[in-house]
Amino acid sequence: MNRYSWLGLIFIATLILPHVIGEFWIHVAIEILIFGLFAVSFNMLFGYMGQLSFGHAAYFGVGAYATGLLMLKTSVPLPVCLVFSMVAAGVAALIFGYFCVRLTGIYFAILTMAFGQLIYYIIFQWYSFTGGDNGLQGIVPPGWLLNVKNYYYFTIFIVTAALIVMWFISESPFGYTMRAIRDNTERTRFIGINVRKYMLINFVVAGMFAGLAGGLLGPFTRSIAPDLCNWQQSGVPVFMTVIGGPLGFFGPIIGSVIYTFLFAFITGFTEYWPLTIGLVIIFVVLYMPGGILGLVHEKMDFFKFKHLTNDIDKGLEKET
Amino acid sequence: MDASMIFAQFMSGLSRGMMLFLIASGLSLIFGVMNILNFAHAALWLVGAYFCYTFWYLMQGTALGLWLSIILAAIALAAVGWIIEVVLIRRVYNRELSEQLLLTYALVLVIDDLIKIVWGVEDKLIERPPVVADPVFIFGAPLDSYFVFVIIVGFGVAIGLWWFLKKTRYGHIIRASVYSREMVSALGIPIPRIYTGVFAMGIFIAGLAGAIQAPVGSITLGMDMAVIIQAFCVVVIGGLGSLLGTFVASLVVGEVYAFSILFWPEGALVLIFIVTALVLIIRPWGLFGTPVRT
Repeated sequence: MNRYSWLGLIFIATLILPHVIGEFWIHVAIEILIFGLFAVSFNMLFGYMGQLSFGHAAYFGVGAYATGLLMLKTSVPLPVCLVFSMVAAGVAALIFGYFCVRLTGIYFAILTMAFGQLIYYIIFQWYSFTGGDNGLQGIVPPGWLLNVKNYYYFTIFIVTAALIVMWFISESPFGYTMRAIRDNTERTRFIGINVRKYMLINFVVAGMFAGLAGGLLGPFTRSIAPDLCNWQQSGVPVFMTVIGGPLGFFGPIIGSVIYTFLFAFITGFTEYWPLTIGLVIIFVVLYMPGGILGLVHEKMDFFKFKHLTNDIDKGLEKET
Repeated sequence: MDASMIFAQFMSGLSRGMMLFLIASGLSLIFGVMNILNFAHAALWLVGAYFCYTFWYLMQGTALGLWLSIILAAIALAAVGWIIEVVLIRRVYNRELSEQLLLTYALVLVIDDLIKIVWGVEDKLIERPPVVADPVFIFGAPLDSYFVFVIIVGFGVAIGLWWFLKKTRYGHIIRASVYSREMVSALGIPIPRIYTGVFAMGIFIAGLAGAIQAPVGSITLGMDMAVIIQAFCVVVIGGLGSLLGTFVASLVVGEVYAFSILFWPEGALVLIFIVTALVLIIRPWGLFGTPVRT
C-alpha cells in the first residue's frame, strides 16, 4: 500500500472515531486537531524555513481573540469569524514579521519572543476591550455546533482544508524556495531571490493558519485568556513539532497526537505534567533528534515518507 | 514628587538593576563563551533562593546564619550546575540552536516541578537579620538597607568578574576560547573542562543572585518565569557576550522599571520589551556586542 492509501485510511478512521470513543476523548481529539494545525503552521517557519520562532502563540492568541470578540459582541456567523481570525493574525504577523525576518537564528528567536510577550501584555492590559486577565467567557458556538460531535466534524473539515492548502504551499515552488532559504540563505540570495520578502510571506501565512487554529479554540473551550499568547504557550507547537519530527509535513500532527494524548492521560493522575513533558523533550532532543519521523526513517525502511531534505541527517547538523 | 522620592526610586532602580545584573551576568558569560543561551538560568536562580532558605532554616539561631546561607547556596548551586553541564549540556555543544534552546527550556519545566516536589507550594519567608532590618537614610530618603547590600554585592561581582577575565590566566584562557576554540584546544587545554568551569561559574553567580534575592519579600513558585524574560532582554540590550553591556543594560532596565512604576505602572514591562525589540531591529548585537557574532 502506498502513502496515499495510508492517509486515506487514517482519514476514514478519524471520521468514524466519534462513534467509537467516549465524549471526553472526542474533546481530546478536537484539541489534537486544533493544536495540530497550530503546530503545522509553526513548522512552516521551523522545518521548512529553518527558523525557530518562540512567539508563534501570539498569532494563535490574536486569532482566538478575534473570533471570541466577534462571537461575543456581534452576530457574525462562526465561519466568517474564522476568516476574520486569519486576517487579524495575518496583519499582526505582517507588522511584527516585517522586523523579525531581518534577523535569523537566536536573534530571530528572541525577537519573536519579545513581540509575542508584547502582544500578550497588550491584550492583558487592554481591559476595556479584551477583558484583560479575566479573558473572554461564554463564547458559545452556534446551535448547529453545540453538540461536540458536530464540532468535531466541523474542526476536521476546517483543519483538513487548511492542511491541504498548506501542503500545496509547501510542495509549490514557494515551498521549495523556503527549503532553499533554510539550507543556504546566501546562495539563495545569489540566485536573485528576495529572501526577506519570501520569509515575510511565509511568516504571514504561518501566522494566518495559527490564527485559524486559535479561532477554532475559542468556541471549543468556551473561554479564552491572554495566556494563549505568552512564550510558554509558544513552546507547545515547538514541543509537538520536535516530538513528531520537523522534517516531515505530518510530523507536527503526530507530535500533537502524542503531546495532547499524553497531557490528557498524565494530568488524569498527577499534577507534575511539566516534569513529564520536560523529561520527554530532553529525551527526544538527546536521543531522537529527528522526532518520531526521524526514527521511522532511520529504523524502518518500510515506512518511506517524503521528508523535507534530501538527507534527513544533514538537516540536523550544524554548519560549522 | 520631590527630590528625595526621585532619589529613592533611583536607588530602588539601582538595586533592581544589580539584581538583574547578578542573574544576567551568568547568562551572558555562558552565552559568550559557550554560545548556549541557557533558558534554565532563572530556574536555577530560583533553586539558589530555595537553597538559601533551607540553609538559613537549618542554621536559624546561629549568628551570621543568613550570610553563611548565601555563600553555601551559591556553592551548592554551582555543584548542581556542574552536574547539569556534564550530564546534559555537554551533549548539545555542536547541535543546532533550536535543540540547545529546547533542552534548556525543557530543563526549566523539570526544575520548576522538582522545586515544587522538594519545597512544596507555600511561599517561603526569611527573617531579616537585625543589621538590615531597618531602613537607612541617605540624603533624607529612607532606603531599604538590604538594597545597599545588594548594590555592594552587584558592584563586587562586576568588578570581580572583570578582574577575573582581564587579569587572571584562567580569564585569558576563557576569552581565548571565545575567539578560537580550535587554537585553545590545539594548545593542549581541554575545552570541555573550560566549558564546565564557565558554566559552573555562571551558575555560581546565579546561585548568589538567588540567595541574595531570597530575603527580599518571599520566595514563590514561578518567580523565575518573569525573571528569565527580563534577563534575556538585558543580555540582548547589552549585547550577547559582553559583560560591560550586561552591566549597563541591567542598570538601564532597572531604572526604566523603577521610574516607569511612577508614571506608567502597567507599562513597565511593555517598555522593556519595546526597548528590546528596538535594539534587535536597529542593532541586534546590542549596545556593546561585537557585530561579528550572529
